[in-house]
Amino acid sequence: MAAFTGTSSVMFLSSSSQQIKAPIRISSLKAVSLSTQRAKFPSLRMRSVPRFKVSCAAKPETVEKVCEIVRKQLALPAESTLSGDSKFSALGADSLDTVEIVMGLEEAFGISVEEESAQSIATVQDAADLIEKILETK
Amino acid sequence: MFCKRGFSMHTTVKSFCSSSYLTTIPLPSKRETHMWYITPDELKDASLIDQYLNVLSPSEKENVIRLPGDKLQRSAILARTLVRTTLARYTNSVVSPSLFKFRKNNFGKPEVDWQCDKNWKPPPLHFNLSHTSSLIACGVTVDMPIGIDVEEKQRKTRNNLSSLARRFFTLDEVDYLNTISNPEIQRQEFIKLWTLKEAYVKALGKGFSAAPFNTFTIRFRGTSRLSLQKCGHSNSEESEIIVETLAEPKNVTTNWRFALLELASSHYVAICVENKRIKGVENDPPLLKVWKTVPFIKDELLSETDSVRTISSFV
Repeated sequence: MAAFTGTSSVMFLSSSSQQIKAPIRISSLKAVSLSTQRAKFPSLRMRSVPRFKVSCAAKPETVEKVCEIVRKQLALPAESTLSGDSKFSALGADSLDTVEIVMGLEEAFGISVEEESAQSIATVQDAADLIEKILETK
Repeated sequence: MFCKRGFSMHTTVKSFCSSSYLTTIPLPSKRETHMWYITPDELKDASLIDQYLNVLSPSEKENVIRLPGDKLQRSAILARTLVRTTLARYTNSVVSPSLFKFRKNNFGKPEVDWQCDKNWKPPPLHFNLSHTSSLIACGVTVDMPIGIDVEEKQRKTRNNLSSLARRFFTLDEVDYLNTISNPEIQRQEFIKLWTLKEAYVKALGKGFSAAPFNTFTIRFRGTSRLSLQKCGHSNSEESEIIVETLAEPKNVTTNWRFALLELASSHYVAICVENKRIKGVENDPPLLKVWKTVPFIKDELLSETDSVRTISSFV
């Protein structure tokens, strides 16, 4: 079952098109059928840029554990609602926070993350997916 | 919460937000870099924030609603308002803040998506945004890719500096930090170095994988040792901050110019611009102008004041 992770709204229709009335929510917890979306938005083109990674959705427990670590690093209250879509920068993380979050994740999951990956993680989902990917190949 | 109550997706831009209330600014010349900043802690007036909300696009508003907590929502609203109002100033009242559209380049760097009109040629503006919880800054140039990064001077790290430095910096940079015995100064130098590296990668605009931190060294040209502790207005080549890629250390291109500032005694700001050599034009260092703004309310040009202390200027 293919699932897409990535940014939550589609912005690569050509610029002359109007606002998308029904934005495609790309959430890794839902299966998105490519053919259905193509039917709705015929001009949808997948650029070669990997805005979307086709990957299996990370387990909810992993996502939750990531959220916990993010909350801690960014000093967010325990009740604050985070989800896979949550962008670190929107949660108040600067670049130093992002790498510290990754270091926290390494400690919590017992893994090692490469530098390029560490600096490119933008959302909770990115982190969870990367963690599971690393754990799989361990 | 600002955004819990319903609002119309078809909000008309209130007259308060028309660009006539926004000071228009002449475009930065090709030898200038402009920076505009906001301090969120001083902007808590709910009605003002509500009006700023009207400047945002529907998808930006949607993103704001999803954020947990007033503070983050306010910060997000201010960041988008800052970018939109800043850019609008340079269009000579042609484009109002709410009309801007944005897109990302192939590597995810945001840029303006000009809605072109046959009668008007948009200025080739480059911009870059950086935020901390206490300061949001937007740098603008004409024709020069720009990256900026802001950090709180007092910022503490969860991990110790040596482990961060060993992991993310080059050997030269680690060596430099190790020469500093005073832990507080060492911490400050670490932060300065971090902001400079961050500004460079953002200016490059190719994502972090194109230039991981440990593949380039930032230092002063004149000496082989980096020392960002000197603050001064020296324009000598000795004090020019340069970047050296490890892959080609001898080939120090002077394509990238750096400035490092201390803002309001509370933040370090690093700015990096691509130094395009223009035929027939003297290759003077870019002049930096800095404004503090409360959009639509007040702008203060602070570049020549004590609020903006140059640690290292563009050379």
